[in-house]
Amino acid sequence: MRASLLRVTVAVVAVSALAVLVVSLTKITFGLTALALSLLMLLGGALRFKVLPNHPAALDSVALVAVFVIAGPWYAVAVAVFGYLAQLRQPSPLVKRIFNPSYRVLAAAGGGAAYALLGGPVGAEALHHIPTTVLAAVAGTIGHQLTNALLLGLILWIEGQVPVVDFLRSVIGPTFLPMLGYSALGVLLAVTWIGGLGIAACLLVVGPLLVVRWALSQYQAERAAQAATMRAFIQVIETKDLYTRGHSERVSTGVGMLGRQLGLSEDRQNALEHAGLLHDVGKVGVPTSIIRKPGKLDDAEMDAIRLHPARGVELIGNIPFLEEVKSAVLHHHEKYDGTGYPAGLSGTHIPYFARIIGIVDAFDCLTSTRSYRPARSVEETLAILVQDKTTHFDPELVDAFVAVIQTQGWSAAAADQPAPDESVQVSIDHDDLSLGTGGGASGSAAGPA
Amino acid sequence: MTQAQEFETLEPRRLGSGVVLVVAGGAVGLVALIVSARQGLTGWPFVIVFGLLIAVGEMVQFRVDSSRNRAPIATSASLAYVMLRGPAVAIPPEVAQIVAVAGLATLAGIFPRAIAGLPWDLVISSRRVLSVAIAAVTFTLVTPDSLYWNGSWTHAVPLTGAMLLAVLSAGVTDALVGAGQDTERFNRPFPAALRDELAVMGRIGLAMGISGMLLAAGTSLIGLWAVPLVVVPLLLTQFAFRRFASAQRTYRTTVRSMARSTEIAGFSSPGQNARTASLAVAIGNDLGLTPARMEALEYAALLSGVGQLALADPSPGGASLLRTREERQRAAAIGASVIERSGVLDHVAEIVRHSNDPYRHGRANNADIPLESGIVNVALAYEQLVGEGTGQSPDKAMESIGLGIGAEYDPVVVESLRRVIGRSFRF
Repeated sequence: MRASLLRVTVAVVAVSALAVLVVSLTKITFGLTALALSLLMLLGGALRFKVLPNHPAALDSVALVAVFVIAGPWYAVAVAVFGYLAQLRQPSPLVKRIFNPSYRVLAAAGGGAAYALLGGPVGAEALHHIPTTVLAAVAGTIGHQLTNALLLGLILWIEGQVPVVDFLRSVIGPTFLPMLGYSALGVLLAVTWIGGLGIAACLLVVGPLLVVRWALSQYQAERAAQAATMRAFIQVIETKDLYTRGHSERVSTGVGMLGRQLGLSEDRQNALEHAGLLHDVGKVGVPTSIIRKPGKLDDAEMDAIRLHPARGVELIGNIPFLEEVKSAVLHHHEKYDGTGYPAGLSGTHIPYFARIIGIVDAFDCLTSTRSYRPARSVEETLAILVQDKTTHFDPELVDAFVAVIQTQGWSAAAADQPAPDESVQVSIDHDDLSLGTGGGASGSAAGPA
Repeated sequence: MTQAQEFETLEPRRLGSGVVLVVAGGAVGLVALIVSARQGLTGWPFVIVFGLLIAVGEMVQFRVDSSRNRAPIATSASLAYVMLRGPAVAIPPEVAQIVAVAGLATLAGIFPRAIAGLPWDLVISSRRVLSVAIAAVTFTLVTPDSLYWNGSWTHAVPLTGAMLLAVLSAGVTDALVGAGQDTERFNRPFPAALRDELAVMGRIGLAMGISGMLLAAGTSLIGLWAVPLVVVPLLLTQFAFRRFASAQRTYRTTVRSMARSTEIAGFSSPGQNARTASLAVAIGNDLGLTPARMEALEYAALLSGVGQLALADPSPGGASLLRTREERQRAAAIGASVIERSGVLDHVAEIVRHSNDPYRHGRANNADIPLESGIVNVALAYEQLVGEGTGQSPDKAMESIGLGIGAEYDPVVVESLRRVIGRSFRF
């Protein structure tokens, strides 16, 4: 049913595109101008560009606006196919091969209609009516984008695999305004083209864009390098204790899941994941002998462990993170009832990120093996969290976290962990809180009485 | 902040050429101002709009490449003002007027920054005024008055060529001045400094120059309508570089902070890594390494002790020179594998891996071992000997390092160290 409906729709789109194309071919003259404009479209289609992070788009929309102004909408329809040709790389199914060029032609026609409707001037006329040209170019871009979104949305709706609303919100929505901004570039390209430069005008527009693209890719590379470096470094610190291997990465993943559930902004989501990764970084300042010590820790040793949040902040203090990252690292051992460390904050005085990390930290600790006990199951651990949610944790966040884990699941702690050591009776991990009734830790391990 | 950043901001204070540049820029600006005041300004709307663009661009400048501030919008706008022609611009501005507008607008842009306590750099801004003057002279010399944007390619193509020439002349002048300043400030060999400056100009400089050409061509054709249209690509450039610059800054401070973990863990004394790195950077500058190699060298010097973290707890006051060579080489190997794990610092890992190899068993026979390993080796040794000024005197330390030439230390690096110390390098 869907398949045949899809075929019919594609056929309709293709036939109407062909009709528009044939009409346009009768309206233009084949000559050097048409050739140069085809080249321009080819270039626009080939130059893929990130208008926003994670939103690559081809610049054929910019080229199309330029064609509206230089030679008029009919030429735009005629050369629109070249934007598609530039993107032909891997073989794709026949339906796609028919639909893709067709919807481009129709989208160009939609944009062209809007341009003509607002009386957009063509050629040398444009130089004398700049306000009208700009207005019509904006309308042309909107028309192009709308037709584009409409046709793609229609096909996705028929295919029924991706919800159309999601597609509109996540792909079309964010790129709409930037593409409108780029249309200014299209007008400028046309102006210098008409001004005598012809196809050479592309150099003036494409040059800066290529450099911008270089800078954005460098930006991504620096970000990736930073993340990789931090992870490698955390792994070194974790070599101090076999049992906490992978803990920081898992906490980072866990707080990431919870953060998305809470609908944090992009910046804060990143910051939260960084904070999760770095929360125990101060452990590097705790002597390995204490971290690995089997048996109960005395007060002096416990004090050394309680210093690790402050040590962590000392270490990352210079990195220009959001301030929330630092406060989260400093306060991730506070408890909701005020019995935590280092400051003994209670309730919502504890920074938001610290409350989030506290929950995931405890969760990961309980679901991993310790020298004195095997790992607990996820259900068991969630039950413990719920049971202790009023004393140790922010109850609302616990509920949110339980919901996330129950819907999305939790990839269990790494399988290559050492087995619990039968001979060890009372060793206590600093994260192992006095949770539940069967817990290995006593209350004094988790904070001052 | 960290040592290396202090060094960037403190160093210019004792510059000779900076003063010369500011005086020259000021003098050129003043003469231009007097001349154009006597002749009177032409094309007021253009003066105001371009002056405003330059001032705003100057106000929103930012630091990129860790070394200097950039103001893409101000640079593009002032270059564009140089290259205006008809039909939309009735009387193209004269050289004196161009320099006067650019100079005054630059001052107007710096002023709010200075009041707000933001970083500003009169030397960089003077450099811009000077290169704009060069571009203005070049463009006026190569463009006859009869040439304007009349819609024909016979005018458009020569005009574009002239614009390109003007932009390049400004870029090359600035690269020459910048290379001279680098040579003076960091004792880099001049050819190496020029090569690096030209490489930067090829990317960032060209983007700003071509944006300027686009703005000039657009304004000449359709008047001030072109300004809002060009502001879009200009903002894109500005935005992209700002993001790049901030990511770069974050990454650098991350590596520096990570390096401090050996201090917090008690494996090294406070500031030891930063001191070693600043010496290694000074030697690398003296030897004229490329920016990419300089960056790897700095990171390697900072991170050379990170392998110790995976070893047992530090012995009290345990400086790594006190330990056996085998232990140090093992720590270096562990450090290298740790750094390698990040997947992005392979070159740094390679430097660290060999940073404790004696020259005779290492680089002397194996050309694959990077020169940077020898630099880190020498920097570590010198820092151990001199430390925070509590250890030996520089001469004494130089003497004991001299004893190890050829056996322990790379002769090329020791010679460079001798020059660096001779120029009174202090931690």
